[in-house]
Amino acid sequence: MKKILPFFLFLLSVSQFGNAQMKLDDVKTFVLKNGMKFLVVEDFSIPNANMYLFYKVGSRNEHQGITGLSHFFEHMMFNGAKKYGPKMFDQTMEFNGGSNNAYTNSDVTVYTDWFPASAAEVMFDLESDRIANLSIAPSMVESERGVVLSERRTGLENSPWRQLFEKVQATAFLKHPYHWPVIGYEDDMKNWTQADLERYFKTYYAPNNCVVVVSGSLKFEEVKALAEKYLEPIPAQPEPPKVHIVEPPQTGERRITEQRDVATPYLLISYHIPETKNEDYYALSMLSSILGSGQSSRLYKQLVDQKQLATQVFTSIDTSFDPSLFSVGAVANKNVDALNLEGAIYMEIDKIKTDGITEKELQKVKNQKLMEFYNQVETINGKSNTLGTYELFFGDYKKMFSAPESFNKVTAKDIQEVAKKYFSKSNRTVGILKSNVEN
Amino acid sequence: MKIIILSIGILIGSLQSLSAQSYQLPEYSTFTLPNGLVVNLMEQHEVPIIAVNVILPAGAIYDGEKAGLASLTADALNLGTKHYTKTQLDEALDFVGADMRVVAQKEYAALTAQFAAKDQEDILNIVKEVLLYPTFEATAYEKEKARTLVALEQQKESPRSIIQSYFDLLLYGNHVYGNIPQGTLTTVGSLTTADIRQFYEANYIPNGSAISIVGDFSTDEMKQTITKLFSEWKKSEQQDIKGSSKPISELTEARVLVVNKDDAKETTFYIGSSGMNRNDPEFVDISIINTLFGGRFTSMLNDELRVNSGLTYGASSRFQPLKNGGSFAITTFTANETTEAAIDKALEVLENLHSKGLNDQSLASAKNYVKGQFPPKYETVSQLAGLLGEMFWYDLDTSYINNFQQKVDALDLKKANDLIATYFPKDKLQMVLVGKASDIKKIAEKYGKVIETEINTYPKM
Repeated sequence: MKKILPFFLFLLSVSQFGNAQMKLDDVKTFVLKNGMKFLVVEDFSIPNANMYLFYKVGSRNEHQGITGLSHFFEHMMFNGAKKYGPKMFDQTMEFNGGSNNAYTNSDVTVYTDWFPASAAEVMFDLESDRIANLSIAPSMVESERGVVLSERRTGLENSPWRQLFEKVQATAFLKHPYHWPVIGYEDDMKNWTQADLERYFKTYYAPNNCVVVVSGSLKFEEVKALAEKYLEPIPAQPEPPKVHIVEPPQTGERRITEQRDVATPYLLISYHIPETKNEDYYALSMLSSILGSGQSSRLYKQLVDQKQLATQVFTSIDTSFDPSLFSVGAVANKNVDALNLEGAIYMEIDKIKTDGITEKELQKVKNQKLMEFYNQVETINGKSNTLGTYELFFGDYKKMFSAPESFNKVTAKDIQEVAKKYFSKSNRTVGILKSNVEN
Repeated sequence: MKIIILSIGILIGSLQSLSAQSYQLPEYSTFTLPNGLVVNLMEQHEVPIIAVNVILPAGAIYDGEKAGLASLTADALNLGTKHYTKTQLDEALDFVGADMRVVAQKEYAALTAQFAAKDQEDILNIVKEVLLYPTFEATAYEKEKARTLVALEQQKESPRSIIQSYFDLLLYGNHVYGNIPQGTLTTVGSLTTADIRQFYEANYIPNGSAISIVGDFSTDEMKQTITKLFSEWKKSEQQDIKGSSKPISELTEARVLVVNKDDAKETTFYIGSSGMNRNDPEFVDISIINTLFGGRFTSMLNDELRVNSGLTYGASSRFQPLKNGGSFAITTFTANETTEAAIDKALEVLENLHSKGLNDQSLASAKNYVKGQFPPKYETVSQLAGLLGEMFWYDLDTSYINNFQQKVDALDLKKANDLIATYFPKDKLQMVLVGKASDIKKIAEKYGKVIETEINTYPKM
C-alpha cells in the first residue's frame, strides 16, 4: 500500500512558535566520506532517541516481473547479516530496550529504530552490520514470502479502499511504475528470486543512497563519532539507474468498476498532479484541506451533512518524486447512486473553479496546518520523520523552515488557478466499487 | 510495512511498558469542584498546545437493552448546543485547527480535545457547551443515525473491525461487559432522541467524572477558568454502577464461534479466556510476561506463526483489563487453507509457555524492553491527559507510575513462571473465527462446541 505521509507543514511565521520550538539552527548535519548524509536534532525531553534511515528506493524502481520487491526487501533487511544472524537483529534490539519498524512506498523505504539513548551504540552496530553485510538466507526468503503474501491478503480482506486504490492507480498510470501496487502482484510475489534480492541490495542499499535522521537525547558529537565508526567504512556504490519512464499526459476520462460485497458504493476520483517539488504543490495541498479537512470543509458540509449523499469523504495528495495523484474519495449513503454522489463532488469542485475560495477559508487552512506542525514537532519521532520527508521530497530539510514563506505567498487566486489547471474531466480517473456491477 | 498494530482498543497499551530510570510523572494539581467533578491540571510548555481529556461514566455497560445507546449519545453530543448549531460548532473548531471528539468505550465515555494555547478560552467554552448543553436537535440526529447505520453495515467489510465484539459476547455472555458498544442494526435503528436525552441526563454528570488538562497554560489561571466554566454543571444521582461488578459466569467448556463471511480469503481469529482486571496487583508482572508471549516482535507467538512458518503477517496476545473483569486473547489471521495449521501452532505456543516457561535471559530482555519503550508513551500532552483520565477511572495513584521501575525489577523468574498457570489459561478456551464457514466449520469442531452466525448478526448467549 502506498503510505500517504500526513505532514504537509504550513508555518505562518517562525515567531509564532515560542521558545521551545525546533528552529533551523537546531538541525545539525554532516556527510560521511561514503556519501551518507546525517541530520541530527538534540532533544533531551525524554531519555530516548531514534534513528530514521530513508533509502531512495521504492516500487517506482521496479519493473513488471519483480513488482513488490522493494517492500519484500524491506522485510529481508531484518533477517540476518554477518555479525547478527537470522533473528538476531530484533532479539538484540529488543534486549537493549529498543523497538523498530519500517515502511515502503512507491518512492522510499524507511527504517525506524526507537531506543533508550544509552543503547545508541548497539543501534549503530546493528544498522552497520545489515547495510554492509546483509546475508540473504534462502530458507528465510521462503518463510518471509508467506509473510508478505499474508500482508497483502489481510490488507485486501479488511479494506475495500485498498482494492479500489490499487485499480484506480493502475488505470491512472499506464506506463509509469506507479501503475503497480507497492505490495506487488501476487504472481510476482511468488516468483522473486535470490538473484533479484542480491542485485537489489547491491544497487540500492548503498550509504550514498540513504539519508539518516537522528533525534533525541544524544549529543551531535556523539552521533557523529558513532556514524564515523560504524557507517563510514561501508563503501559507496555507483548511482542507481534513474527512473526514466514519464507518464504521458492523459487525454480523456478513464473509468473503472470493481465488485465487492459492500454496504454501499465506494467512489474514488483521482487527478494527475505534479511531483512534490513542483511550485504548485503548496496551493494543491491547501486546496486539499479546503475540500476535505474537517466537518466544515466544503465536501463534508455539502455531501455528508447537507445533501446526505455520502457517509464519509476525504481528499489526499501524495508526496512523491514523480508526478502523482490528487484524490477525492467518498462512501455513498444508503440508497444513493454512486453517479449522483460523483456529480455532487464535481459541483463542489466547479464552484471553486468558478468562484474561488474565501479569505476565511484561506486563513482556516493556515491555522490547521500550524496545528499539524505542532503535532509533528511534539515528539522526537515526528521531528525525524518530518525532517527526512522534507530532505527527500522537497529536496532540502531547510524547506521545512522556509515553508512559512512559501505558504504565505499562496493567495486565494492561486488556489482557484490550480483547481482550474488540474481538475479537468480529461485528467481524471474514476473508480466505483460496489456489490452489484451488472446494472 | 514490517508490522502493524494488530488489535484495537488495547487498554493495557498505554500502561503496559512502564519503567525508565528517571521517569517520574510530572507534577500536577488536582482538586474537586463542589459538584464532584475532579480536575487535574498539568503544565507542559514545550509546545504551545493544550490537551483535554474528560472521562465520564457513560460507556456501553450502561446501555441496558439498547445496544449502541452510549455510543450514539457520545456522537450526538457534537451535533449542536445551546449557543452553537452543528455548523457553527464545526466552523469554530476547524477554523483554529482544533480537534474535539467524544467516544464511548465499553466502560466510560471520553471527550478529548487538542488546540493551540492561544485558543483556550474559546475551545474550553465549547467543551463546556458540548458537555452541559447539547441539544440533540432532531434533524442533525437523524442524519447522524443514518450514517451510523451504514457504518454498522460496513463492519461486514472488515473482520478486524468486528471480531472483538464477538469475542466479548462469547466470553462475558449476559454480563454488561458482553454489551456490544457500537450496537446492532436493529437496536440502533430503534433509538430515538428521547433515548439519547435520557441516557445523557443519567450519565453525563460531574460526580464520577474527571477533566484532565495538560499543556501550555498557567495552573492558577486555568483553575479559575475551569471552576467558572464547570461549577454550573449539576450534580446528579449516580447510576447504579453495580452492573459491572456482578459476577461474570464461569466458563464451563471450550467453545468456538464461527462467524461466516462468504467472500473471506483468510480467517481472522481470537483465542482466549478471562483475564486480569485493571487493579490486579500483578498487573505489571503480567505485562512483562505477555511481552514475551505475544507483546512484541520477537515474542513466542510472532516468532512461531510469522518468522518460522510464514503463516501470518503478525500474531500477538493482549490483555484487556477492565474495572471488574478482563480478557486475555491470542489474535492473528491466516489464509483459509492454513487455518488449522495456524490455530494448532498458536495452541502449541501457549502449551510451550506453560511447559517450558521463561528463562533468565528472556525475562531480562522483557524487562529492558518495557523500560526502554516507556518514556515515549508519555511524551505528548494528549498522552499525559489520557493517562490522568485513566488513573482517575481505575483509581491508580502516582505510585503506580513512579514505582514502576521498582516493580519491573522486582519480578523474579520463579514468580514469573508461577504466574503463567493462573493468568494464561489454556483450558476451556473461547475462540472466534471470522472466515468462510464452509471451509472452516469442520476444523472448528476440533476445538470445542461450535456456535455459528453470519457476519454482522449476533447469536443469543
